[in-house]
Amino acid sequence: MIVKFIKDGISRRRFLGSTASLAGLSALSAGLPGAALAAGKVVKIGFLAPLTGPVAAWGKPGLDGCQIWAEWVNNAGGIKIGGEGHKVEFIGYDNEYDPAKARAGATKLIREDGVKFVMMLGGDTWPGAQPVADKTGMLFSTLLPSDLGPDTSTLIAPAEVHPIYNVTGVEWLAETKPDLKTAVMCAQDDALGLPSVATYLAAFEAAGIQMQGDPLLFDPATTDFAPVVTKLLSTNPQIVCLDTCYSDYVHPITEQLFQQGFKGQIISCTADFYDQMIAKTSKEFMEGFIFQFPDFDDPALNASNINFQNPNGFFEEYNKRHPGEWGAVSWEYASIMDLWKAAAEKADSVEPDAVLAAMTKSGKGDHAFGRADWWGKDLFGIDHALVGDWPVVAIEGGKARIKGFKSIPDWYAKHGELLKKHMAAYGQMWNQRG
Amino acid sequence: MAELLVQTGLNALYAAAYMSLIAVGLVLIFGVMGIINFAHGELFMLGAYVVVALYADFQVPYVLVAALGLVFVGCVGVAMEWAMFRRLRDNPLGGLVASIGFLMILQALVSMGFGVRMAHVPPVTQEVIIFSERVRLPVQRLIVILAAIGFLTALWAFLTKTRFGWALRASAQDQEAAALQGISINQTAGIAMFIGASLAGIAGALTAPLISVNPHMGHSVIVAAFIVIIVGGVGSLEGAVLAAVIYAFVHTFVTTFADGVIADVVGLLLMLVVLIIKPTGLFGTADRA
Repeated sequence: MIVKFIKDGISRRRFLGSTASLAGLSALSAGLPGAALAAGKVVKIGFLAPLTGPVAAWGKPGLDGCQIWAEWVNNAGGIKIGGEGHKVEFIGYDNEYDPAKARAGATKLIREDGVKFVMMLGGDTWPGAQPVADKTGMLFSTLLPSDLGPDTSTLIAPAEVHPIYNVTGVEWLAETKPDLKTAVMCAQDDALGLPSVATYLAAFEAAGIQMQGDPLLFDPATTDFAPVVTKLLSTNPQIVCLDTCYSDYVHPITEQLFQQGFKGQIISCTADFYDQMIAKTSKEFMEGFIFQFPDFDDPALNASNINFQNPNGFFEEYNKRHPGEWGAVSWEYASIMDLWKAAAEKADSVEPDAVLAAMTKSGKGDHAFGRADWWGKDLFGIDHALVGDWPVVAIEGGKARIKGFKSIPDWYAKHGELLKKHMAAYGQMWNQRG
Repeated sequence: MAELLVQTGLNALYAAAYMSLIAVGLVLIFGVMGIINFAHGELFMLGAYVVVALYADFQVPYVLVAALGLVFVGCVGVAMEWAMFRRLRDNPLGGLVASIGFLMILQALVSMGFGVRMAHVPPVTQEVIIFSERVRLPVQRLIVILAAIGFLTALWAFLTKTRFGWALRASAQDQEAAALQGISINQTAGIAMFIGASLAGIAGALTAPLISVNPHMGHSVIVAAFIVIIVGGVGSLEGAVLAAVIYAFVHTFVTTFADGVIADVVGLLLMLVVLIIKPTGLFGTADRA
């Protein structure tokens, strides 16, 4: 515990003092061969996400990943603008997944810190930041494309198309285990849970898998999941789908499934800290658990189509600095920065409008998992989601392994109407959101 | 269907057990001190983090850790009484505000010490009592149920059979009259706070291997605990236990046969109905209400 306390304390200080540490590292790198950082030229990037609170697992690990990304980029000479290297500095702001704090944070990052780009988790916090984005024209990114809408032309979803990529897991499951024909689902009743519910319903329908009852929604304040699991299992389903539940829910629900004797297939959007789930259940029980977020030490990520610098090295470095903290978003914000850096260098400018134009000009972009299309007008009213292939991950022998990549656009071309039908039924189309 | 009903009943029994421990502690503090302790959920959280610190990280035997959790959180309660509530005895609103401030301090301290994300607590036991294919009771849940019965029985015996217990009940009925009989108000307040806090702490320690342990977990239980003590009758220990059982069964069965969001609404409706029919709660008296 003492060791853990000290480690966490250092981590927290590192987080609070990110500016100072990055400045120090950059100063060191100035003396290294090949480093040609323009003196005093810094590009500030805003990181506006939950760093504390129940949703921190989808914010804080992303900032930790960005710090590694910044060190690597700065050590390699920074971002080349006008023939000069500019170092990158992340300014974090903890919005605690609260819209009012997101608004205050966006204002502070833009007005006081002078950031050139703001990365967010999105979801419930986007409505807070949206007026600031509209007023300032600042370029924002979200991990949740359900935030996209035609009214805000400076919001992009370049890393993940949550929850649309969940269709790939179901599609892969239906192809590899065609005998599984019945499913149940549970989700927390919020901005992350509901669009995901609609997506899984569409994916199951497209795959010919029958839902045994309506998705079971629970209050995000739920602590005891035994009644939820008892209800899920009451119809003897072959598949239990955990939707996009937060890890605080995925863990106890999975443990309950184990304790209540479930022996079928589990599919989930995420399985953060799955080693802890294995410890609470068994390796055998978790075998074949399907989700969507790989560990970056996966050999499949060394393929030539992967647009992420040294994924295995990134994973190793991340785990060295933050042991046991790797999660779904650890790499995602860093991958957005890859895209932003390429666009800024192409535009030879860090100004938001120039970067956005360079990023979306050809209608295609280099997503972490391969070449992808700027897409989404049908679902989001604007082509600002970068969509291509997405990995399907399964736990094998206690370790997450990519089982294959599936194309989201291909699925959508065949089953797009189904997705729109279910999104509309849950009030999740862009023109239905208030 | 029979299996589903029995399994749901077992689930409800577990929920009633830990909710009783939390609600009874909250009622005891309010009854004796007249303070609405908003930090009670965080005392529950502290109990869980004692398990994280000692059992999960240092592999100290779980039974010993649970006992330490009880004592440690009880001592935190005594410190709260001495540092905050004693000085605000004539100012119930001040006590309430102070407890809100204290809960934020506790959350911040735990976040700094343990991190913000869910802490991992290894299972104490993976044994499950299997009655049938669809009726199962994990032993860890049985431990919570039996421990709750044991602690509540011990509390009842303490309150009805010992001089300290009589003093507590006298203070709860009328502090001034109790003081005139030579009962130390400071002492009874300290005892009440120790017992109330330690019940929350032991509830947290017992349930830690079964739930998501995080610095904000107190929020989840405090709302339900307030519903329980309002339904049971503010200040009534018997009422808190009965209301915890009723609330747990209603909430669990509605979750299972409808869904969790509807269960929350039904729980609030239950409180509303009780307040309309009997504004003092099931066992409450007019002066306390």
